[in-house]
Parts: sequence; C-alpha cells; structure tokens
Amino acid sequence: MSTQFAAKRLSKELSKISSSLPPGIELVSADNFEEWLLDIRVLDNNPLYQNQTYRLKFRFGSSYPIEPPEVVFVKLPDRPIPMHPHIYSNGIICLDLLGQQGWSPVQNVESVCMSLQSMLTGNSKNERPPGDEEFVRGNRLRPKDIEFYYHDNDV
Amino acid sequence: MPPPNTPEGGVTAPTSPPASPTPSQPTSPLTRSEIAELSLPKSSILELDYQSIEYIGPVDETLLCPICRTPFHSPITTPCGHTFCAGCINRALELQSVCPIDRQPINKTRDYCRLPLIVKDQLDRLKVKCPNKGCDHECLREHLEGHYGRRCEFTPVRCPESSCTKYIARRDAKAENGCLHQEFTCRFCEKVLTWEECDDHYDYSCNGATARCEECGKQVMRHRLGKHLSQDCPEAEARCKWHAAGCKVADKRRVVQEHEHSGCTFEVISRLIDQRAEDREMINDLTGRLARLEAASSRRRRPRERREPHNESSLINGSPLNLLSTEATGASNLTRNDDMSPSSGFADDDGAWASPEDYMLAQFERIEGQLEGIRKKMMEMDAHQSLGLLQTTARVNEQLAELGSKVGVLNMHTTWLMNMQRQSHTQQRTASTSTGPPSAGISHAGDTSTTRAVSSETGVRYQAGSRRSSSDGRGEHPPRL
Repeated sequence: MSTQFAAKRLSKELSKISSSLPPGIELVSADNFEEWLLDIRVLDNNPLYQNQTYRLKFRFGSSYPIEPPEVVFVKLPDRPIPMHPHIYSNGIICLDLLGQQGWSPVQNVESVCMSLQSMLTGNSKNERPPGDEEFVRGNRLRPKDIEFYYHDNDV
Repeated sequence: MPPPNTPEGGVTAPTSPPASPTPSQPTSPLTRSEIAELSLPKSSILELDYQSIEYIGPVDETLLCPICRTPFHSPITTPCGHTFCAGCINRALELQSVCPIDRQPINKTRDYCRLPLIVKDQLDRLKVKCPNKGCDHECLREHLEGHYGRRCEFTPVRCPESSCTKYIARRDAKAENGCLHQEFTCRFCEKVLTWEECDDHYDYSCNGATARCEECGKQVMRHRLGKHLSQDCPEAEARCKWHAAGCKVADKRRVVQEHEHSGCTFEVISRLIDQRAEDREMINDLTGRLARLEAASSRRRRPRERREPHNESSLINGSPLNLLSTEATGASNLTRNDDMSPSSGFADDDGAWASPEDYMLAQFERIEGQLEGIRKKMMEMDAHQSLGLLQTTARVNEQLAELGSKVGVLNMHTTWLMNMQRQSHTQQRTASTSTGPPSAGISHAGDTSTTRAVSSETGVRYQAGSRRSSSDGRGEHPPRL
C-alpha cells in the first residue's frame, strides 16, 4: 500500500517535472519510481561553481514522501562533486532538509533541487567538511543512517 | 567532542528525538476511525482509492493535498490552518508530530478540525472518471462512491472462491465461473497467465505463433484466425449482409461486399424486418408494463373495497332496488351512492381497474357527474325560487290594483258629494239674497267644515277644488259620477 502511495506521488511529480522545471534543473532519467537522476547548475556568477553541472541521484524509499529521499551527488567524468563545507567528496550531502527531522512530506524533488541550488549559490568557502577524508574512507553507511550534527546554520 | 558536521560513523550517539510538546495519541476517536478507514478493507469490494482517480479538466492547485498532490480526500485542517488528506497527515504525523508545512506542533487528539463545507462542495463537484479498468463512466466526485460501490460492473470484488484472496471485476465474479485466478499456460506463447488476464492477453500482449490464412495468405494471430475468416478475410466465403431478409448472394467476401455496396434489394426488406422487430419489442414492453400496472392497481383496489364494503355489496348486486334501499339507509350516503353508481358500473364489468389512469379517469367522471347533479339542483332551485317570487308578487300586485280602484271609487264619491254640497250652498245663497248677509256667514262656516271633512285625502281635495272651480260655470248641474 505504501509502495503504491510513493509511486503515485512520484508519478504526479514526474508528470509535473516533465512539463516544466525551474532554470538550472534538468531531468536526466526517471525510469522507475526508485531512482531518478537530475542535473543542476548554479545560475549566478559564483566563481566556485561557474560553468559546471552537477549530477544528483535521488533514491526513493517505499514511504516517500513521508520519509525523505536519499539524495547524493554522483561523480562522473564531466560531473564533479561541488566544493562545499557540507558536501563530502563522495557526494554525501549534509543538509537538514534531507534528514528525518528536517524533512517534510510537502517537499518534493523539485524543491530539494532548488534548495541545493541555493545552498551552493550562497556558499563562498572553497572547502570540504572537516574530517572529510576520514569519513569518505571509513563510511560504509547509507546517507540516511548517518547522524549528522547540524551545528552551523550560516552556510 | 566531534567537530561540527561530522557524521558519527558508527551511530554511537543517536540524538534523541525532540520531545513533542503534545504527545501524539493515536487513540483519538477521530483518528482511529480514519486509520481504520484507510487500512481495513471494509467489505468484499476493493476500497476506492482516491489517489488513483483521474480528474477531468484542470483542478485548482489549492485543492491539492501538499503531501499526495491529489485533490483532498476527507480533508482535515490543522490548527495552523493547513489542510491535508486525513490519510496523508496521519501518516506524516506518525513520524513527526508537527505540521509538515510550518512545523507547528500538532496534537492529533485535540487539534484536528473538519474542513468548511464549502471546500467539501468544491471537491464534490470535481468531475472524475471511474478508476476501474474497462469502465468509461464519468461523474461528479460525490457520485463516484455510489457508482463504484454499487453499480460499476468493473469494480474489483472478492473472488467468489473462498480460498482465494484476490479481487476480480464484479461482472466476472460469479460462482459458476469459479476462481479466475487459477493459472494456465497460453496455448500460443507458453506464457503462464490467469483466466482473468486471458482476454487482455489474447487481444494485446500474446506474441504467440501467428498463422497463415489459407484463403488470403495474410498472417494473423492464431487465436484470431476464426474471427478473421468469419469477419475480415476478403477471400473467404461469405453471405450477403441481408441474407436473413432473403438475399441469396453468397460468394467470396470481396464480391459480396461489392454487391452490398452497389445496393442489395433486400436491404429495404431487412430494414422493415428490423423495424417490425423493434415495434414488436415495444409492444411486448408495453404489454408487460400494462400487466404490471393492472396487478398494481388491483392491489391498490383491494383496500378500497374494504373501506366501502357496503357500497360495493349493493353495486355488485347491481339492482336499482338495492341502490334505493341503500339510499334510504342514510341521507349522507345518499348522494355518494348516487354518484358512485355510473362509474362503478364499469368496475363491475371487469372486477378491477385496468390501470391507475383508468381509475383516475373514473374518479374524474364521478366528480363530473356530481358537479352535473349539483348544477341541475341549482337550476331547479333557481326556477322554484323565481316561481315563488312571482306568485307572491302577483298577489300583492292584485291587491294593489284593487286598492287603487277602491281609492278611485272613493274619490268619485267624494267629488260627487262635494258638488252636491256646493250646489246646495248656491241654492241657499240665491235663496238668502233676500234674507241678508248673516246667512252668508253661516254658509262660510259650512264651507270650511266641508273642506276639513275631506282634508284627510289631500289629492282628492285639490281635485275637488279644481272641479269646483271648473263646475262654477256650469251652474247648478249635479256632478257626474
């Protein structure tokens, strides 16, 4: 039943996304209701992200949209991982919106993409999160099982 | 102390969930009923799923639930003013007891309020399509439940086989069909499918071996071969479309089709036959209806008989004597019996009204008869009245005339008497010219007394006066009567 619920909601979103998306967001593939790929670009002249496109991977659980989707950046030859103090070099994003506490079922793929766009736009630090290397080496957990500390709200 | 934003690799210190200010209690009456509504299949039919309904025409964005993105189903408004489907918000609150939009704490027990009816009306008026596959019914959303639950032939209902837990379209759920979920292998493509899917499979998805039509050489699906030969193949033997009407043309289909297009003489006959069949059907239908109405009206008539047993008994005997005797029994029943008799004569003939229309017609006639009777009586009364009036006035007139004539006679008498007196006066005067004026005094007194005597009839006195003056010239001639 809940699987159906997720599929229905996703099919609604898909039909909306297919017809129109905000600038800088593009749907790459949505062949099923489990995993979608989208590309995002930063639209202003932030030198950190100029002329670059990033690939996002959404994975939806059966209880989406009650529970958040798993969203990570994917590294491809032409799709780097953006430099950001909340984005680990393996693509894992630390954003309260994507955690159990920060998520709300009224969010959707489009709004998540826009949040990430604005998160990059507002950033001026060309750095990775502290402990990045260690984390990337050691982490075997899925992003949703990781407990982040959302300490700083200034970026 | 880990640095900020560092993931706790081994989930050593899970942050405790924030204590919700108003702990959620999933045992509130409202929520419980709604949860039950959502999770339990109540009856033998598959619950109508509002999220898979297709809406006709655009739906106002404001009527969409922000969680499921479909128009609200049994909506609920939070104290912070946001509206969600009951099912959606309940599911969301299981995770976090806050409003999904503004994160205000929500207590399920206390804080829910129903949506204004105006919004419910808006939702009810949305046009929807029946979600059942194969059904193309369209209606307002408020009527969908009824269509889906009671009328739609495609609504999934519990399989008639008690051991099977699956659902099947209502029209196929017959005990004699048995369980249509048993699997079998397709004859043509070796695919395993259930009987339920069978038609669909053959029509659309079977990619089994095709067969070659021996007549026209075309490749057709094997299971379609029979249909192809009987309906499509241009080389197969066929008969004229109107063979039922008597056309004898039978040849290869394309020849026959040419014949049909060029105008078969039997087409007209066939149309007539069709028309006749239609008429017959209508006649049958009407006869059936008539019979039903007759039955119904005879049922309706029975209580009436019970109500007026005494009328009916007299009418069934049908003798006017009986009618008279009934009339004698009571003055109140008299008119009723009288008026019932013409219409109930008809009722006697066949025992029951043929239809409610006939019954009404009879009632109408009865009332008309009554009216006619009343009108006659009125006329009679009118005539009687005027006759009586005439009689009374005639007598009065006669009396008046008599009185008039009497007065006339009296008048004449008085005039004659007065003249007589005057004459006697003048005679006295002529006689007393020698005796002197004192006699004139006496005569004067006598004259006034005469005038006083007749003063009771004024008209007469004047007449007398005028007569007196006119008769002056005539001298002593006595007045004529």
